[in-house]
Amino acid sequence: MLKKSHTQKNKFLIYILIPAFLFLGLFIYFPVIKGIFISFKNYTLFDLSNTQFNNFQNFKNIFTDQNFRFIQILFNTIIWVVISLLFQFILGFILALLMKKPFKGRGLYSALVFYPWALSGFAIGLIWAWMFNGQFGVINDILLKLGLINSNIGFLSNPKIAMISVIVVNIWYGVPFFAIMLLAALQSVPNELYEAAKIDGAGPVKQLFSITIPYIKPTIISTTLLRTIWIMNFPDIIYAMTNGGPANSTNILATQMINKILKFYDYGQGSAYGVVIIAILLTYAIIYLKISSKKGNDNI
Amino acid sequence: MKIIKNTLKIILLLLFLIMALFPLYWVIVTSFKDYKEIYTFPIKYLPSKINFENYKYLFEISNFGIYFKNSVLISLISALGAMIISIFSGYSLSRFKYNKAKNTLLLAMYFSQMIPTFMIMAPLFTSFANFGMTDSLFSLMVIYISTMIAFSTIMGKGFFDRIPVALEEAALIDGCNNMQTIIKIVIPLSLPGLAAIFSFAFVNIWNELFLAAMFMSSSYKMTIPVALNSFISKAGVSWGVLSAGIVVALLPTMIIFAFTQKYIVQGLTDGAVKG
Amino acid sequence: MKKLTLLLLCLVLLFSISFSKTVTLNYLEVMTSPERTKLLKDMISKYEKENPDIKINLISPPYEQADQKATLMLNTNQKLDIVEIRDYTLKQFVNNGKLEDLSKYFENWKDAEDLTAVAKKAAYTLDNKPYLVPQCIFIKALFVREDVLKQNGINTLPKTIDELIDIAIKITDPSKNQYGFTWRGKSSEFKYSDLFASAEVENIKNEKYIYSTEKEFFNTEDYKRGMEKYIKLFKEAVPKDGVNWGFNEQINSFVSGMTPFLIQDSDAIPLINNLMDENKYTVIPIPEGPHGYTYLDYGFTGVGIPSYSKNKTEAWNFIKWLNSPEQNGYFNEHYGALPVHKSTYENNEHFKNEKYAAYGKEMVSEKYIFKTYPLDSERWPGWSQIHEVDMQNLLLGNTELKRVLKKWEAYWN
Repeated sequence: MLKKSHTQKNKFLIYILIPAFLFLGLFIYFPVIKGIFISFKNYTLFDLSNTQFNNFQNFKNIFTDQNFRFIQILFNTIIWVVISLLFQFILGFILALLMKKPFKGRGLYSALVFYPWALSGFAIGLIWAWMFNGQFGVINDILLKLGLINSNIGFLSNPKIAMISVIVVNIWYGVPFFAIMLLAALQSVPNELYEAAKIDGAGPVKQLFSITIPYIKPTIISTTLLRTIWIMNFPDIIYAMTNGGPANSTNILATQMINKILKFYDYGQGSAYGVVIIAILLTYAIIYLKISSKKGNDNI
Repeated sequence: MKIIKNTLKIILLLLFLIMALFPLYWVIVTSFKDYKEIYTFPIKYLPSKINFENYKYLFEISNFGIYFKNSVLISLISALGAMIISIFSGYSLSRFKYNKAKNTLLLAMYFSQMIPTFMIMAPLFTSFANFGMTDSLFSLMVIYISTMIAFSTIMGKGFFDRIPVALEEAALIDGCNNMQTIIKIVIPLSLPGLAAIFSFAFVNIWNELFLAAMFMSSSYKMTIPVALNSFISKAGVSWGVLSAGIVVALLPTMIIFAFTQKYIVQGLTDGAVKG
Repeated sequence: MKKLTLLLLCLVLLFSISFSKTVTLNYLEVMTSPERTKLLKDMISKYEKENPDIKINLISPPYEQADQKATLMLNTNQKLDIVEIRDYTLKQFVNNGKLEDLSKYFENWKDAEDLTAVAKKAAYTLDNKPYLVPQCIFIKALFVREDVLKQNGINTLPKTIDELIDIAIKITDPSKNQYGFTWRGKSSEFKYSDLFASAEVENIKNEKYIYSTEKEFFNTEDYKRGMEKYIKLFKEAVPKDGVNWGFNEQINSFVSGMTPFLIQDSDAIPLINNLMDENKYTVIPIPEGPHGYTYLDYGFTGVGIPSYSKNKTEAWNFIKWLNSPEQNGYFNEHYGALPVHKSTYENNEHFKNEKYAAYGKEMVSEKYIFKTYPLDSERWPGWSQIHEVDMQNLLLGNTELKRVLKKWEAYWN
């Protein structure tokens, strides 16, 4: 009897998975398989009369391209993802800690401080590109007026600064996501744990590392993983601000992929970049989940 | 000591607020400036006169009203769709006994997030074109639901993990079948979490540009991001109108957020409690 | 499956034909802006009033997405009867067999004779066959802030490129935020460096293209000298930020008076008139090069008929109307591009205005030799991206001119 209801339940669990995977299968997995096929073909919109398998030429081109050197783009991508994620997380965490205890006007405050997350990527890029303008930008103007700088900074034209500028914007955009998720997780830490720690004489810093962080670890793991994937696949800000320039200094895999498709009309190579992105992320996700579940957290 | 701590806290809170608000301030100011003032140098930090031309333009010339309606419709239905589907998929993955299968399925969910939009855009368009279904709100909704399923499922699973199985077993003994258990026990207990899933999905769909621009042809079927993007032309960006558009586009997401933020905080709380 | 859909489609079509005679034409525009879309819609409703059995459905994707959308729609045979084609997309549409050769329509089109030389060249860009009826021409002229020049003690306008460079450098004074030339650092910046560098090269005159896989001049002393002058202009008359300037930054810096010289298409005129007193600036033909002439590139858009369209006759009738001297003149007067008919420059007061007249002069003067880019070459797509990166590297001092020119030579060989 019990066994019967058990298999019945299992069947039920599989049935109710079907709608989700039906959608994913039809509208994500199926087109991506087509996309992967394209990545092995000579597939440029310039001439579609001869779309044959081209002996991995698209991938060879990616690694030997002298104009857009793979090493540089990969390095940019890593900087873009790691620094953005790190600061989004740290600042988001600090903001969440600050907002943990209710205070007057917290509802309004959260609406005002979290709104960047509700803007679209390309709009953010445009607004900030305009504010960062080296001659007429409002940021240069303010810094000059405050006496913090003597002459305008080429936020988007100096290759040494451009990457920092686009990352600042990405951080600005991403802090609310972490703040919301972590704030919620923080509310759940039982107060008794802190009481006990206080009796043991643990200071705030020790409490943070020995109680808070371990307790909300599942949330940290799933949000950082999702966020890493999203940041890596998020070309909007860079595309609107510098389009990968100056001199490739802000070109990441995602922007390079868009360029190949929109400017070169080369879907073959664009899709090949897509395959590279997926391969990197998949490897990363598997390792990340392995390591984090080994330590006893199967809740990803 | 406590005073110092509190002052520091207030200073930090203010700092975050200023950083977040400054661009919004700039967008709002720009939206009220007239054409010439936007390009005036030295920069004007307040418009010399509040000017509604840009907002008028949005609704009189650019049909923003129609796009607004489309966007609300598409975002609401798609976000609801994704939420409902992921109640089941999230629940299923939460209750799955076989870890290996479960982890593979979860990875398949994460995998769907790793795919760049541009990689599937042409194949998707071609498939829909073969069935003559490109210029359709319905097609767009179906695709949006698919793009939001993974995130919704992963979050949903988190909430359902925390609902004690004992509650469901009690319901089963009372004569509920599996479906009834979900509807009567699981959903009510995770309403706050579902609100969170819904609003995240809503915001993401509300802002999607590339697929909407590619799939929609008729002008009366366009969405807000497409309309905003259309203020960029060969002759540059129309800053005033674009700024006004961004302000208007922010309203619904702010409203949704105002309504659900209490739930979001509370909802994720429930999700984060280890059962 | 496809056959079944086709059969169904035919049935639906037959059904609809037997019940109404109204023909609906789908018209995709690509150089979109809200104002241009509105302009076209107004013209369309005028046409619909005159032709009650025709309905025209205008499709206007955002400018930045439009080319990709046009390509995808054509390649999947979406219902389209009239499609706007740009210089950049023409070849790929034809390559993929999506455009109708309009030769037989052109034979009976009386206004074909009236097309300007540049417009005719545009129409016959590929294989000497007209795949499009030209609608807008974009060429460059020099915008000058005379007020700023006067403030800096300059009372003459530059006649040669060397003079232009000299004046720009002379008035530059970073401490007063005064610079000489409005740089273009991204998206289509190659058109600017090509203009300056090619002017030094005499022989391009005899070539079809400014450079191509057949012939290029990158490694000649002349071209190199032209590039050196252009780089000098950047180093001595342009703010460093110029490396990242696109259209918006250009307009911003010209309107503010920071850089009194701007090279732009005519559609910048209505925009700039909106932003500043139009008496403070003028537009003159591009200064001539050391050999007495300058090579000018021309951009164009036109309308064509998809090869699979079922309403070709109706589509042609509309295209003929839309690009008649009267309508085309009206359209470009409000849109800002240059009209395609000779008679428009004679009859329409708008184009006699001194600012537009500069473009008119360029088109009839022997000092200007119009050269197009090798739009039919498979090396062409993406060239602008490659050029942009190399040029930025060059201006930032990451590489040297000799290496870049070698690289370009290799690319085109």
